[in-house]
Amino acid sequence: MTRLPVVKGTLDLLVLRALSWTPMHGFEIVSWLERAGGGSLELEDSALYQAVYRLEERGLLQAEWGVTENNRRARYYKITTAGRAHLRAETKNWVEYADTVTTILTAKSIP
Amino acid sequence: MIRRGIRRWFHLALRRRDQWEREVEDEIKLHLTLRAEQLTAQGASPNEAFDEAVRRFGTLAESRARLIDAARHREAHMQRTEYLSDLRQDLSFAIRTLRRDKGWTTVTILTLTLGIGAATAVFSAVSSVLLHPVAYPDADRVVLVYQQPAKGNNTGINVTISPSAPIIRAWKTDAHLFEAVEAFGQSDMQMRTTSDWVDVHATRIGPDFASFAGVRPIVGRIFTAAELATDKRGVLLGEGLWRTRLGADPGVVGRSITLDDSTYRILGVLPATLRLPRVGASTTDVWLPLDLRNDHIGASVVARLRPGIDATHATAELDSVYARVTAALGEKATLHAFVAPPGRQVSFRDSLMLLGYAVALVLLVACANVAHLMLARASTRRRELAIRTALGAGRSRVFRQLLTESVLLAFAGGALGVFAGWLGLRAILAASPTSLPALTLAHVDYTTLGAALAITIVTSVVFGVLGAMQAGRESTNEALKSGTQRSATGRGRVRQVLVVTEMALSATLVVGASMLVRSVVNLQRANLGFEPSGLYTIRPSVPRGHFGNRAARGLFLRTLETRIASIPGVTSVTMASAPPGWWTFSIGRLEIEGRPAPPATLTEFIRVNNIQRGYFGVMRQGLVAGGEFTDTTGAAHQVIVNAGFARKQWRDESPIGKHIRIAHEGTEPWLTVVGVAADAATGGPVTGDATSPLLYTAAADSFAAALLVRTSGKGDLLQPVQALAHAIDKDATVKLLSVETGVADAIAEPRFVMLLLTLFTALALSLAAIGLYGVVGYAVSQRTREIGIRVALGAPRSRIARSVIGAGVALAISGTAIGLAIAHWGTKVIETQLYGVARSDGASFAAAAIVLVVAALIACIVPARRALAVDPMTAIRAD
Repeated sequence: MTRLPVVKGTLDLLVLRALSWTPMHGFEIVSWLERAGGGSLELEDSALYQAVYRLEERGLLQAEWGVTENNRRARYYKITTAGRAHLRAETKNWVEYADTVTTILTAKSIP
Repeated sequence: MIRRGIRRWFHLALRRRDQWEREVEDEIKLHLTLRAEQLTAQGASPNEAFDEAVRRFGTLAESRARLIDAARHREAHMQRTEYLSDLRQDLSFAIRTLRRDKGWTTVTILTLTLGIGAATAVFSAVSSVLLHPVAYPDADRVVLVYQQPAKGNNTGINVTISPSAPIIRAWKTDAHLFEAVEAFGQSDMQMRTTSDWVDVHATRIGPDFASFAGVRPIVGRIFTAAELATDKRGVLLGEGLWRTRLGADPGVVGRSITLDDSTYRILGVLPATLRLPRVGASTTDVWLPLDLRNDHIGASVVARLRPGIDATHATAELDSVYARVTAALGEKATLHAFVAPPGRQVSFRDSLMLLGYAVALVLLVACANVAHLMLARASTRRRELAIRTALGAGRSRVFRQLLTESVLLAFAGGALGVFAGWLGLRAILAASPTSLPALTLAHVDYTTLGAALAITIVTSVVFGVLGAMQAGRESTNEALKSGTQRSATGRGRVRQVLVVTEMALSATLVVGASMLVRSVVNLQRANLGFEPSGLYTIRPSVPRGHFGNRAARGLFLRTLETRIASIPGVTSVTMASAPPGWWTFSIGRLEIEGRPAPPATLTEFIRVNNIQRGYFGVMRQGLVAGGEFTDTTGAAHQVIVNAGFARKQWRDESPIGKHIRIAHEGTEPWLTVVGVAADAATGGPVTGDATSPLLYTAAADSFAAALLVRTSGKGDLLQPVQALAHAIDKDATVKLLSVETGVADAIAEPRFVMLLLTLFTALALSLAAIGLYGVVGYAVSQRTREIGIRVALGAPRSRIARSVIGAGVALAISGTAIGLAIAHWGTKVIETQLYGVARSDGASFAAAAIVLVVAALIACIVPARRALAVDPMTAIRAD
């Protein structure tokens, strides 16, 4: 199976998407991405934390210390209203862009 | 729940670097642990699992550093954002609260604006004219040097003499208490342009004058000492002339211009910032070399003292050098040197100082008013603050909020005040008399502006916060129970004291202002002894050296006189050596026949006006005894004296037929007094020259400085006169001046001061009235319940109104009494500005008392009406 490198800028979107379900800590986000992407994304785990800090700085995420099921102290991340709005807008952009690029690349004749 | 911002506010200080670093590490550790557990569950050995976890995480040291960096960035950013959002919240809350009290906010901001604005405008004018009249380097050590007759003079005016070249040369080399001594001389010249001649102001200076004044030529260079010795035909242009006449052409160097009858070569251009060290000096158009090797010239002298040298020592040295020079020339030393800083020479000095005092009082009143308004507001907000405290707002939080409010107010007032100050200065410049050209250079003085801002801002912040904190300190319970009414009498007393102070300061100002108003009225009504309206002076000028001799000039004037007489509307024409606005002197000894002659060593300045028959008719000046000249030929030796002269020399005796003479050698002929002219204040009422002794002699027309024309019409005189002058001599130009305007200009200064002082007084008075209104209004609101009960019990409304107004007027009267007492002592500063008004002018004091009481009554009307409108039922049920 080929592993796909994550296109610059999309990691933020993926993280926001993950958190749009429920607040998670770092490893939960990583696991979710691996599950949701079928393990086909090539990503260093540390890059995720960088993305998370960046999003927190921009006010798209909010962090709070909490406790995991196994009683471990973990930093939980929660999407903010601004984060949801950002996710909605950027998802739309991404889908349109991907559709357009796909249409062009797979065109069978010269229009 | 506590707001996130507040939690952070107390929290963040503790969130030190090691803390969030540790958090990042905890997070990495947890991640690795969870990943390893996940891998172990999938069947890996613990060691393999951990290695794999680290591998997937990325190079550990590197990513750790990257993450810590990212976290630091995040923390800094969030701290900033939250600080700003708190500030924004405080500000928007402050704006909301202030807007709720629109009336109060407007009055407070207006008070600040007017106080700061007035202070800035006036102090800027004062400082630029009095404190910084010259912009030379080390200006505090720059002095003007004059000489005066050592034995004084009897002309009634201050006579100063420009030192002669040999003395200046000696001072330059031998006066060691001075760093530098420079000379300059001003004259009017005519410059030939392509079409005609224009008047230009010329100043002659030495080669070092520009560097003494701290400037360099902006184009070309200045003449050198060596050039001065060989060639005197170099000229530097003033920047103004260069820009207006020569289009600021940098290539002017080397070209020539014609001044009077000589041609000069342009060497360069001196900047407009180079100004003569004399307040009111006109701008120089051309700078010419001053040759001090010519013994027969005199010049004005400006010098820079060495640091730490005082005027007494400096003068003593100048005098000893002067004595040596005169001894070497075989002459007697009859003069005394004196040095004065350029600002000392301002005639307007007293007036400006007076305005300075006045505006300082206004600023004080403004501060008192701000303090007062702040306290008033604090007392009405006790309940609000108590509620907020009860709801859990910490004291520091409330304090921060109040501080934000006060600062916001202060800045709004400050910003508007800066603008008002700038506007005010513009207005002062626009309204200022033309005799004060130095004012046109005045600019907003930043020290003053800063001081005024600081004073008012500190006042508003201190009183705002203190008042509110004091209100907040009261038991929350108490405040909530009692509502906005009752108690707080202590603060009420502070406010009464503030109002009495404001009233007192205003009363002082009103006294001063009414004295000035009365004195300006007196000036305008003053009998001048002649009729200025319809009277004009005409001063023809032709390039110097144009007339070969005096006779040619006389002929020119006589021809012009005859032709002007035929202009329609002109009723009469005459000539004089000293037309209104001019003084001419003879230097000699005044001898009166039959009295011992003064010592031959005495030199006096004797005021003389050479006139022609018809002069008194044209002036409409009366003769109080005797008559006009019966014979104007030189041989008749007739003289007319003014009433002041007659009074001084002969008291009650008739002067007609007496003999006097002005002696130089002692062989001069005796003159016979044929008439006594009424005293005429030709320089306007303020100069006090009307009664100064004066001799009118009949003289040849060639001595005349100007023609005097009396007209009946209002038509333009300048055009026809110019045409006539041009027809006689194509190079002639004329200056036409209205004597009426000249006289009006002479009282422009006092009128200007009066206007400003009245304005400031009105300002202070309105502020004080606002203050009183506040105190009385507050008292009424405190007494609402009591008034309600009284009304319910049948008290007549008129008695209630009387008690409200009575309380206000009582405050005003105590303030006024104090103010009048201050004024009684303080009118010293105004004394020199008064004309026909005594320092203890009862009318002015009475006027002040009346004005203050009326203002107090007006201020009490609204609160009194509010008291009358109290509905007993509501008032008693309130709370």
